[in-house]
Amino acid sequence: MRKLLSVLLTLCLLGSLLVPFAVAEAQEPITLTVFRGDPGDQPYEDNKIYKKIEEEFGIKFEFEFLAGDLNETLGLKLQDLEDLPDLFDGGNSAEMIIDGGALINLLDYINPEDTPNLWAHIEPQKNRVITKDEITGEDVMYIIPNYGLTDGPQIANSVGGPAFFIQKQVLAWGGYPEIHTLDEYFDLIERFLAENPTNADGTPYVGFDILTEDWRRFCMINPVQHLMGRPNDGEVLIDVNKEDFPTETFINQPYAKPYYKKLNEEFQKGIISPDTFVMSFDQYIAQLSSGIVLGMFDQAWDFGDATNALLTDGKFENTYVALGLIYDEDDVPAEDMPEGWKIEEHYLNGSLPNLDRGFGISVSCKCPERIIAMWERMLDDDWQLLFNWGVEGEDYSIENGRLTMTAEQYANTQDVEWQRHNKARAFFESSPKRQGWILDGDLKGNCWEPGNQDEIVFGLMNDYDKDFLGHYGYSKFADFVNPPIELAPYGEAWQIDKAPIDKDYQDFLNIQDTQLPAVIMASPEEFDAKWDAFVEAINPSCEVYSNFMHEEVLKLVAAYYGE
Amino acid sequence: MTDMTKGSTRYYMPRKKGFFARLASQWQLALMSVPILMYVFLFNYVPMWGWINAFRDYGNRKLVARGITPFNGLDNFKWLFSRPDFYQTIRNTLAMSLINLVLGTFSAILLAVLLNEVRQKTFKRTVQTVTYLPHFLSMVIVVAMAQNIFASTGPVNELLTKLGIMKNPIFWLGEGKYFWGLVGVINVWKEVGWGTIIYISAMTSIDPALYEAASIDGAGRFQKILHVTLPGIKSTFVILLIMNIGHLMEAGFEIQYLLGNGLTADFSRTIDIFVLEYGTSLMDFGVATAAGIFKSVVAIILLVGANFISKRLGEDTLV
Repeated sequence: MRKLLSVLLTLCLLGSLLVPFAVAEAQEPITLTVFRGDPGDQPYEDNKIYKKIEEEFGIKFEFEFLAGDLNETLGLKLQDLEDLPDLFDGGNSAEMIIDGGALINLLDYINPEDTPNLWAHIEPQKNRVITKDEITGEDVMYIIPNYGLTDGPQIANSVGGPAFFIQKQVLAWGGYPEIHTLDEYFDLIERFLAENPTNADGTPYVGFDILTEDWRRFCMINPVQHLMGRPNDGEVLIDVNKEDFPTETFINQPYAKPYYKKLNEEFQKGIISPDTFVMSFDQYIAQLSSGIVLGMFDQAWDFGDATNALLTDGKFENTYVALGLIYDEDDVPAEDMPEGWKIEEHYLNGSLPNLDRGFGISVSCKCPERIIAMWERMLDDDWQLLFNWGVEGEDYSIENGRLTMTAEQYANTQDVEWQRHNKARAFFESSPKRQGWILDGDLKGNCWEPGNQDEIVFGLMNDYDKDFLGHYGYSKFADFVNPPIELAPYGEAWQIDKAPIDKDYQDFLNIQDTQLPAVIMASPEEFDAKWDAFVEAINPSCEVYSNFMHEEVLKLVAAYYGE
Repeated sequence: MTDMTKGSTRYYMPRKKGFFARLASQWQLALMSVPILMYVFLFNYVPMWGWINAFRDYGNRKLVARGITPFNGLDNFKWLFSRPDFYQTIRNTLAMSLINLVLGTFSAILLAVLLNEVRQKTFKRTVQTVTYLPHFLSMVIVVAMAQNIFASTGPVNELLTKLGIMKNPIFWLGEGKYFWGLVGVINVWKEVGWGTIIYISAMTSIDPALYEAASIDGAGRFQKILHVTLPGIKSTFVILLIMNIGHLMEAGFEIQYLLGNGLTADFSRTIDIFVLEYGTSLMDFGVATAAGIFKSVVAIILLVGANFISKRLGEDTLV
C-alpha cells in the first residue's frame, strides 16, 4: 500500500512538472541581446512597457549602447559572427554589418501570407526596401526601416532634419524678422551678440557652432547643398531636373567657396570659436543644453537631447527654430553655378524610408521567427498605441475618438528620466513602426505619433511658442521653410553604400577633417590659397566619389521605375 | 671520455652527456617549464598564422562575407608604402615614442633620485603614492581633463594671459605643433610615479657601504648622487632602455586617438590610427595585418640593434 502511494505521489509530482511545459511551450522566456548603434540610456528594471513585452511575448532585452567609435565597434563585433547581438542595429554604418554577413535576410520570414502586417507595412515602398543581392541575384531585405514608412499624406509640423538653427530669443530680439540668406542670418547673430555678450548668468554666448566629431562632420560639410536649394543628398549635389541626374560632390566646387568664405569672416569676427573644431559631441550637446549657443547647422534629431533638456528646464527662448537658408543671388557668381541651376529653397521633401537603418536580426540569433512574430503582432494598433502614446488613462486619454494628452502627460514624454521608466525607446526606436495617420478603426484621423497630433502640436504648445508663432502669423514651425517637394526617384543619395570605394571615401573624409577647419580659421589673406590647396587635395577622391555616386543614383532610378 | 690527440689528456665535464640524457636528469625542471612553453606557443606563435592575411585581398566586403579572400601577393604592402600619409604616421609614431621614452625615463630617474634623498619617510611615501596614482586612471579621463585644462578658456591659458606672459590665449588643442609636446606632458604626468618604482628599488639595493666610503672621501650630496647612486642604477637603466626601444613602434594609441582632431591630424595620427581608419574599420584586414607585420619587423630590428650596441659598449644585454 505504501509503495503504491509513493508511486502515485511520484507520478503526480512528475505530472505537475510537465504542466508548465505544455502551457508555455511557445513562450519559453528568453533574453535577447540588443545592440544600438548610437549612445542611449538603459531603461530601468521596472519599465512598464518592457514588462508588458515580457508578459505577452516572454522576451526580455539586454541592451548595449554604442560607446566610442561606431565603425570600430562594429568592426570588432564582426570578428566573431557566432556571438553577435540578436537584434543588431548598425546605426549609421549598418552597411558594414550587412556586407559583413552579420544579418539574416528577413524575406525568408516575411511574406504576404505569414506576416500580413509586416508585408503591408513595406509593400508601398518595396522597390526601395527590397534590393537584389549583387552576387546571388536574390531579393534581400536585411533591415525594416525604422522610420519613414508612413501611412497617409505627409505631415510636416516641424523640421526634423537639416536646417540652419537659431535660438528663438535671437529672432524675438531682432523683432521677428524673416531670415532667408546667410548674410541676414549671421548679421542678426552678430548684432545680438554685440548687445548681449553674455546670458543672464554671465556665461558668454557662442555665436555659431560647427560640430565636426567623427561622422557628425556633416554639420560642417552638408550646408552647401541646402544653400543651393536641395534637400539632403549627403555629400553630393544632384540635378533632378535633368534626365541623366548629373551628380557631383559639392565640397570641391566653386559654389561651395562663398559659404566657407562667410564662415571664415565670421571666425575672424569671433562669432565662431576655435574650440568648436576640437569639441566632442557630448561637449556640443552640453553646450547647447546650457542655452548659450545662438546658432548652428545641424539636423533636428541630432541635438534632440539638448532640445529636451532645454524644455525640461523651461528655457523656451533658448530652443531653436529651423531656417531654410539659401544663397543670395549675388553670393555665387553666375559662372560658378552648375549649368542651368536655379536656387529655390527646398529643405523638406517627401518622406523617405530610412533604408538600412534600424534593427536587423543577426545570423547568431537562435529564434528569428519569434522576433518576426513579435514585430508582426506589434504592428497591431494596440501595441503601436502603447509604444507611441503609452497606457490609456495613465499617459493619454481618448475623448470623442481623439487621442489627447494633458500638458503634464506630454511634458513627461519629453523627460529623459521618465522615459526610462515608462517608454521603450531603446527597443522601439530601431523597430518597425507605424507613422503618419491612423487610417482605419475607431481612431481613424488621429496621428500615430503624439508629436504630430494637432491637439498636442497646437493645444499643448507652450505659451512662449504660441506667442512666438503669433508674431510671424504662422501656425507651426515648419512654416519657416517651404512645404516638402516630391521625393526624388533615387530617394536621398546619402543612403547609398560607399563600401566599394571605401578607401577613396576615407581619403575624402580625412582631407575634409584635416583641412576644412584650417580653411575656416585661415587669416583673410591666406583664405584663397588655403581653399585652393584644399580643393586640389580633395579633387582626386571627389572624382572617384562623384562618378561612383552617379552610377549608383542611375541604378536606383532604374530600380524605382521597375526597369 | 678522453681525448688522446696531441698526447695530452683532457677530461670533459660530465655535461657532455647527450642532450636527452641531460634533459632526463632534469625532468622536474623541464616539466615545470611546459606550461610556459605552451602559453608562449599558444598566444605568441599560433596567432602568427594570421600573418597570412597580409597577403590576401579583403577589398570586396560582399566577397569577404562569403569567405572569398584571394591571395594578392604583396599588393597590401605596396598599397601601404604608396601612401605618403603612411610615412607621416611612421614619423609621428617614432617622434612621440622617442619623446615619451626620453621624457618618461629622465623624469622618472629625476624623481627617483629626489625621493631617494628625502629622509622624511612620511613625506616620501605620500609623494610616491600621489605621483603614481594617475597611472591607474583611464586615458579617457586623463584626456578629458587635459581638454579642459588646455581649452582656449581653460586654466592654463587663463594663467598665461593673466600673468601677462601671453596676450592672446594659445589654441593648444587645435595646433599640430603643440601636439607632441602635449602628449609628452600628459604621459609624464600620468606615468612618472609608476616609472620611479623600479629605479627606487634599484637604489635601495645599492650597498650603503659605498655611500659611507664616499662620505669618508669627502663627497658631498651631489657627488654621492653622481658617483654612487647613478652608476648604481645604470644596469637597470640600460635593460629598461633596450626593452623600451623594442616598443618604439608603439607610441600608444588611446591618447592620440582621444586628444587628436582634424586640425592636429597631421601630427597626431600614428600607425595604429592609420590601420584603424584604413584597415580595421573598413574591414580590410589585409592592410591591417600588413601594417602589423611591418611594425613587428621594425621593432625586432630596433631591439636587436640596441642589444648589439649595448653589448659593444660593455653593458648588460637582454640576450
